[in-house]
Amino acid sequence: MNILDWVILFGTIFFIVSYGVWKTRGSKNIEGYLKGDNTMKWWMIGISIMATQASAVTFLSTPGQAIEDGMRFLQFYFGLPLAMIIISVTMVPIYYRLKVYTAYEYLESRFDLKTRTLAAILFLLLRGLSAGITLFAPALVLSTILGWNIFVTTFLIGGLVIVYTVSGGTKAVSLTQRQQMTIIMGGMLLAGIIAYSLIPDHVSFGDTISIAGELGKLNIVTTNFSWNDRFNIWSGLIASTFLFLSYFGTDQSQVARYLGGKSIRESRMGLIMNGLLKIPMQFVILFIGVLVFVFYLFVQPPVFHNQTLKEEAMQTSQADSLRVLEDQYNILYAEKQVAVDGLVRGIQQEDEKLKEESKATYQLIKDQESKIRKDVKTKIAAAIPGAKTQDRDYIFLNFVLHYLPHGIIGLLLAVMFSAAMSSMASELNALASTTTVDIYKRSIKPEASPLHYLNASKYFTVLWALIAMVFAALANFAENLIQFVNIVGSLFYGTILGIFLVAFYIKHVKSNAVFIAAIIAEASVLACYFYFYEELAFLYYNIIGCVIVVVLALIFQVFDKKQPSVS
Amino acid sequence: MSELPDEKPPVFNTWNSWYWLVLAVMGLQVILFALLTSRFA
Repeated sequence: MNILDWVILFGTIFFIVSYGVWKTRGSKNIEGYLKGDNTMKWWMIGISIMATQASAVTFLSTPGQAIEDGMRFLQFYFGLPLAMIIISVTMVPIYYRLKVYTAYEYLESRFDLKTRTLAAILFLLLRGLSAGITLFAPALVLSTILGWNIFVTTFLIGGLVIVYTVSGGTKAVSLTQRQQMTIIMGGMLLAGIIAYSLIPDHVSFGDTISIAGELGKLNIVTTNFSWNDRFNIWSGLIASTFLFLSYFGTDQSQVARYLGGKSIRESRMGLIMNGLLKIPMQFVILFIGVLVFVFYLFVQPPVFHNQTLKEEAMQTSQADSLRVLEDQYNILYAEKQVAVDGLVRGIQQEDEKLKEESKATYQLIKDQESKIRKDVKTKIAAAIPGAKTQDRDYIFLNFVLHYLPHGIIGLLLAVMFSAAMSSMASELNALASTTTVDIYKRSIKPEASPLHYLNASKYFTVLWALIAMVFAALANFAENLIQFVNIVGSLFYGTILGIFLVAFYIKHVKSNAVFIAAIIAEASVLACYFYFYEELAFLYYNIIGCVIVVVLALIFQVFDKKQPSVS
Repeated sequence: MSELPDEKPPVFNTWNSWYWLVLAVMGLQVILFALLTSRFA
């Protein structure tokens, strides 16, 4: 990092925050604060939806995911276009007709107050936890990479988001997301182009694709079904559809984005835009990871990508054994170079025998390399008790810092900060509006002035931001970050979706039946998670929660008819 | 798929056309990705 990088990083952040505050100055009514005065056009809604979903975790973790596991993670998004269509057809017209501020208001008109409150509380739990992770992920990685204390990065990101989210509400969130998405996509595309330009000249673009494909990184569609396989076409098309239906249709952080539209037409087009562009966008991000993977075939990658942590471990009694492992790794890399050269020649000369031999040698070396990397992680864990040895989230940023030119490094760090800020702003805005509208205004203080609720929304925004910041600064997650965010979502989304599906489609089911069904469903999903953690991929929790709510609600309703006093 | 007569979509006459477009684009992408995957399988 040099002065140019710092100027670009802080200049970008300062511009976005100032723009958000300045453009929404004078925002004085609750309608405008929570729904952006219903002035949003479809493309603004589309960008806002995409920016909300794409947190910093997306850009930190996804390229690393492609490097280690190939591009099959893309299948996770296959259910998204289907969900966009279902939401456009069913949910959007209902929300507009009822003129709701939050999705959960609808549940009171359909069921009763307790069902609305239950769904709102489940959302607050889920989103409150997710906001902490959304902030923790970039704060941890950036603090490690920049050598700052995690409290500094946590409170810097959180504080900046508070400034414009409290000041301008939903409108500020959406306006700043336009700038943020421009920086994010521009920065990522530039990183991809530069990553490709760093690959040796004798390797053409076609060769790059062939190398990645031969080494198993273009495994985009996998058809083998397994309950514990997180990413295949079946989990992508079926389980992900449930997850995205719940996320985009019932999660206030997304519902608020399209409820701010000028009309149903604008909201639907915003969702359609997301349905058309999300898969290509994720493809690009994963493909950048593949380019970095090919680059690292020609340039030696570090044995452990969190180099700050490794340097710390080198100061301990484990230093000698780490040095031995690193020497073994260096020797292996020289052997791997020979195999990679053979593979390139095999591809270029269309020599199948040479290609297959080189691939087999590469795979053998790769296995030994993986063993060394595992040993390194074990040594680091022994050297620094409690250290987070999962280094996948550091691969891309490490590449950026060591191989991209100055100026671009600052821009890519701005990408990470922008992404962190954009999704956190939406989350805080949604947490504040749900707390204000569904809990505070409905059940605690129903008869206050609009100004009072406007101020309450602002206080709740700050309160949730502080909770997220404290959580992020104190928490320590061991899993890969993008998966952890999705796991947390899957634990709650199924139940929430089940409540909404019963509300929309099973008209004879009443409140008591769905309320008890939802509580049992949530308890069952949490029990499944703790008992079958290894056996069941997290995406299936969405189906389990949803199916339990629907089936039990139908059964309880039969029982409820026999005892009409319950209803 | 429902229609709201007062909210006509842009470009196409019905919302269903947009939904079919989204499905077609998704289907095409999945086919292309499957072909790319099978090329190296």
